[in-house]
Amino acid sequence: MIEVVCNDRLGEKVRVKCNTDDTIGDLKKLIAAQTGTRWNKIVLKKWYTIFKDHVSLGDYEIHDGMNLELYYQ
Amino acid sequence: MGSSKKHRGEKEAAGTTAAAGTGGATEQPPRHREHKKHKHRSGGSGGSGGERRKRSRERGGERGSGRRGAEAEARSSTHGRERSQAEPSERRVKREKRDDGYEAAASSKTSSGDASSLSIEETNKLRAKLGLKPLEVNAIKKEAGTKEEPVTADVINPMALRQREELREKLAAAKEKRLLNQKLGKIKTLGEDDPWLDDTAAWIERSRQLQKEKDLAEKRAKLLEEMDQEFGVSTLVEEEFGQRRQDLYSARDLQGLTVEHAIDSFREGETMILTLKDKGVLQEEEDVLVNVNLVDKERAEKNVELRKKKPDYLPYAEDESVDDLAQQKPRSILSKYDEELEGERPHSFRLEQGGTADGLRERELEEIRAKLRLQAQSLSTVGPRLASEYLTPEEMVTFKKTKRRVKKIRKKEKEVVVRADDLLPLGDQTQDGDFGSRLRGRGRRRVSEVEEEKEPVPQPLPSDDTRVENMDISDEEEGGAPPPGSPQVLEEDEAELELQKQLEKGRRLRQLQQLQQLRDSGEKVVEIVKKLESRQRGWEEDEDPERKGAIVFNATSEFCRTLGEIPTYGLAGNREEQEELMDFERDEERSANGGSESDGEENIGWSTVNLDEEKQQQDFSASSTTILDEEPIVNRGLAAALLLCQNKGLLETTVQKVARVKAPNKSLPSAVYCIEDKMAIDDKYSRREEYRGFTQDFKEKDGYKPDVKIEYVDETGRKLTPKELSHRFHGKGSGKMKTERRMKKLDEEALLKKMSSSDTPLGTVALLQEKQKAQKTPYIVLSGSGKSMNANTITK
Repeated sequence: MIEVVCNDRLGEKVRVKCNTDDTIGDLKKLIAAQTGTRWNKIVLKKWYTIFKDHVSLGDYEIHDGMNLELYYQ
Repeated sequence: MGSSKKHRGEKEAAGTTAAAGTGGATEQPPRHREHKKHKHRSGGSGGSGGERRKRSRERGGERGSGRRGAEAEARSSTHGRERSQAEPSERRVKREKRDDGYEAAASSKTSSGDASSLSIEETNKLRAKLGLKPLEVNAIKKEAGTKEEPVTADVINPMALRQREELREKLAAAKEKRLLNQKLGKIKTLGEDDPWLDDTAAWIERSRQLQKEKDLAEKRAKLLEEMDQEFGVSTLVEEEFGQRRQDLYSARDLQGLTVEHAIDSFREGETMILTLKDKGVLQEEEDVLVNVNLVDKERAEKNVELRKKKPDYLPYAEDESVDDLAQQKPRSILSKYDEELEGERPHSFRLEQGGTADGLRERELEEIRAKLRLQAQSLSTVGPRLASEYLTPEEMVTFKKTKRRVKKIRKKEKEVVVRADDLLPLGDQTQDGDFGSRLRGRGRRRVSEVEEEKEPVPQPLPSDDTRVENMDISDEEEGGAPPPGSPQVLEEDEAELELQKQLEKGRRLRQLQQLQQLRDSGEKVVEIVKKLESRQRGWEEDEDPERKGAIVFNATSEFCRTLGEIPTYGLAGNREEQEELMDFERDEERSANGGSESDGEENIGWSTVNLDEEKQQQDFSASSTTILDEEPIVNRGLAAALLLCQNKGLLETTVQKVARVKAPNKSLPSAVYCIEDKMAIDDKYSRREEYRGFTQDFKEKDGYKPDVKIEYVDETGRKLTPKELSHRFHGKGSGKMKTERRMKKLDEEALLKKMSSSDTPLGTVALLQEKQKAQKTPYIVLSGSGKSMNANTITK
């Protein structure tokens, strides 16, 4: 179980607990549940790297406490 | 924010101070960011305070476990830290501070970042709702221990690791080798020779063995067969084999297959091998047989056709709208693309029973097509042919009738001639001036009537209808063979004959009536004519005595005389009153005009004598032919027609003599002038040779050879160089750089000119002299200041 911090620099900062083998899509759903948006409207990025929905966090090597950038599309 | 509300709700449910603290912190963020620090501090302090309180309770005696349990829900991130803290109590005091700091830091981090976070349970609930598996809460080892508690990691022994790796590799390699050897062991290598190849004895042995085995096998087979026969299974076995044979593929299985060639391409007595056409693996269409060579040939032919470059589209091509089999061909647009769009549809035929095919059906179709084609009627009419200039024999036949007509007409004319002769003794008394009156009718009835008067004609003259009848009679009289090739015409004639007969009857009746009428009217007309003529004669006799007695002057006549010519005078035929005058004047004029005529002048005024006579003649003719006279028959000839026209006044027989000024036919004679045509000067080519002056050199200045030198000067007075002159002429100067340089050069030249020869450019000599004058010394001291190097000045 890892905890990932998602910040959109507009006032939304959430810490989401998830598993390493969860996919980004699942993570987005969790984020959406916490922030109140729709999960398909969320874009998670790190600089210019867009995290794709079907890849797991472990494959992206997202570890505990990592900061992800939260954008909306 | 919704999340914060939810958060708040959860927090309320939990109802812990610490949670409230953090919740409170998160509640406020959007509104009071500036107070964040305070909040956080308060929150932090609150949080830490709460912590402290809790810990004090814990210290009190582990009763806080219950509370802890209750708070375990609320606690999320700090929980783990608490547990770690719970171990050694001795260090609690020390750690407290650090923990407080950490907690503060942690909480501050959360509050400053405003990161909303859910606890594990909440997260699990959420995950369950979303359909994800719950969190794996295994060893929440975010880091291997905290900073304060570094857990010793396992000693990584690289050597051991390497060894292990090597072992693993070796094992894997060995395993692979084993497997390979197993596989390859079955195959004989070249190195391994059979022992009997070299050694004959061994070979003999081997061959004997093989033989033995064969015999054994045979024996076994025999035994088995015997056994089968015993058990009566042999029939069954044979059936099976027979079935197999039946199942074998034969020609009858070819029934229904399509062959993708035209049946005509198979010639009798030829064997052609057909193979299955290639088709895709997933295509489930039925099989098609083709011959490879034929396919290639067809393709080659198609290519040749394509290369021939036939026109795709014939706009006015009149394609047959009917198919071969007399069925309507559907008209399609851009039919050249059909093959491309819909795909090729090659000729094919199906194999029938027993795998055979005969082209019987196709042949039948062909026969039907040929038959229909023969029956077909083309809509195109026969094209235009040149008309022959000579009549064909058939056409000659049709002329026979007209010949007959001509004959009849001739007969008529003879009659006419007779009539003319009859008329002659009548003189110019146009009694029977039968000039085609309407009353008479079409034929020569008037004349006939006259004849009746004179010589009682027994029958009425044949009218046109009778003539027609006579024609027929004459036809019969002639007795010529009926014109060949016109049986239909004869039939029509019969019908016509009847019709003509009927018409003739009616006409005859009408004729009789008319004749009676005419007789009456004709008599009247004759009387009138006679009267008129008598009157005319009477006039002539009467006029002479009258004329001699009196000269009548009429105002109008005088006026008219002065007027001049009246071109239409007397043409209308109404000038009977003036006849007397005319005659009298005529006599006078005749005498008067006699002289004038000799002059030969064609002057105005009354017309000449001839005219008068003409007029008189006209008048006479006009008077003689009154309105009631018959009109001359126009078809008598051109002369009659012209006479008619003249009587009616349609022709102008008088020569128009209108007052005319004599135009001078000769221009003024003068030989001293010529008309200048100035327009001719404008010719380009004529202008070239315009100067027609004297072109010869002066003789006085023979040896004059001037040396011409033209100098140009610019505004300052300098002479222009050829380059400058060229610039001036063409209007284009040099560019910026060049002009600047030129200017500089000019300035330098100017300066050079200004320079004095005896002096330096700065004029130092002049300055020197001035200074000397001023100082009244023949020298100048060159030191800087005014102080000179006197003995006085050299002091300390």
